[in-house]
Amino acid sequence: MSKELNLWLDDLLKDIKIIQFKRKNSRRVRIDIAPEALPALLELLQGRASYVHLSAITCVDWIEDDEFELVYHVWSYETNSLVSAHTRISRDPGVYLSVYDLYTPAAFFERDIHEMFGLYFEGSPDMEKFILTEWNGPPPMRKDFDSEAFVNQTFSWEEYHPQWLKDIEAEGGGITTRPEDVR
Amino acid sequence: MNELDKIPVRQELSVAEGNVKRSNPLANVFDELVRFCQSRSMFMLHYCTGCGAIELPPAMTSRFDMERLGIQPMVTPRQADILLITGYVSVKTLKRIILTYEQMPSPKYVIGICSCTVNGGMYWQSYATAKVLKEYLPVDIYIAGCMPRPEAVISGLRDLMGDIKSGRADNWKRYFQNYDHYLGNQQKLFGEDWQTPTDIIAEAEHYGLMTDQTLGEHTALLQKHQQPLEALEFSLGEKREKIQGENPREKNNE
Repeated sequence: MSKELNLWLDDLLKDIKIIQFKRKNSRRVRIDIAPEALPALLELLQGRASYVHLSAITCVDWIEDDEFELVYHVWSYETNSLVSAHTRISRDPGVYLSVYDLYTPAAFFERDIHEMFGLYFEGSPDMEKFILTEWNGPPPMRKDFDSEAFVNQTFSWEEYHPQWLKDIEAEGGGITTRPEDVR
Repeated sequence: MNELDKIPVRQELSVAEGNVKRSNPLANVFDELVRFCQSRSMFMLHYCTGCGAIELPPAMTSRFDMERLGIQPMVTPRQADILLITGYVSVKTLKRIILTYEQMPSPKYVIGICSCTVNGGMYWQSYATAKVLKEYLPVDIYIAGCMPRPEAVISGLRDLMGDIKSGRADNWKRYFQNYDHYLGNQQKLFGEDWQTPTDIIAEAEHYGLMTDQTLGEHTALLQKHQQPLEALEFSLGEKREKIQGENPREKNNE
């Protein structure tokens, strides 16, 4: 039964001209779609094909293209398959529509993406700080945030070969069994 | 193997470094007895921040059985002797660790397990983890490894027991003696209005551990920002109504 449903869905989705449809295997479908059409697609999938479970929304920062890629993963318990809807929006100003009215759990993912990437979702119920409540810097998952430079600026490091170890080595001690001796 | 024994791994403490023996021989015997008892009944608060915590259940339960050495888990910081920090410490967690540490009664010992507490470990690049634990708390023993096996954990704890027995494990005093230094590092990370409910300066006075390093510019900053503690408001009924009113879904249903 579920195989037949999948085939019908494939035929339907292939007929829509503005999307790129690609079936990866019997349980995964990839769809590339323009950002203005994505809420309509999700509504169609949820209402007509029982894709009721929003598993995750993921965000990718394509800094060279100046774009964010949003991937909506929706799962259907009828067809037992996952649809990943990919869409790309401009990095500046980085505002997109919330799908909270379709999928309530979207509030959770959108808040997380807002915190990590600085992408704002219009219509999402809560865009406050979520996990990084004590973080005042830029959104840390953006590619233009240099984590290493931040760490070197903020934290100091333990010395790997401190004076007390040198003192012990001068007396003939120190690391007695080096890794290469064991191997 | 015999050569290994000759290597000076640890220098014996001289009298000048604070290992003062009392003139009354009976008092010495009593001190030694107290230290022996302390080293043989250690209650451990394991603050499981990272993956190193997974090595503790086998170390505590029947396979390796820490309790035969007198080391037992404890549920509250107020009754614990050892604070065991297992793994990476995020900046948010570090605040809670400092709160927990300051609540523990002296003498108290901190053990940093895993490479992450030494130098950030595999999270050295992360913006969210604090790197060197001993900048913020006086650490007695580091057990390095990613992760150390239960044998290594028990071996580290045995080292600490030896230190307590011989009177060497007095790092907890350093927190009071150099409070300005530790507070300065904490303020650097958490902002200058950082404060804890525990009054460390008053405790330092109580233990007689005030030095010229206890007070300084950072403690002056602390006293400037310090606010008196207030009891939290407890109003369950009102809050529930408020949440129901704010929920847009419920509004739609009405």
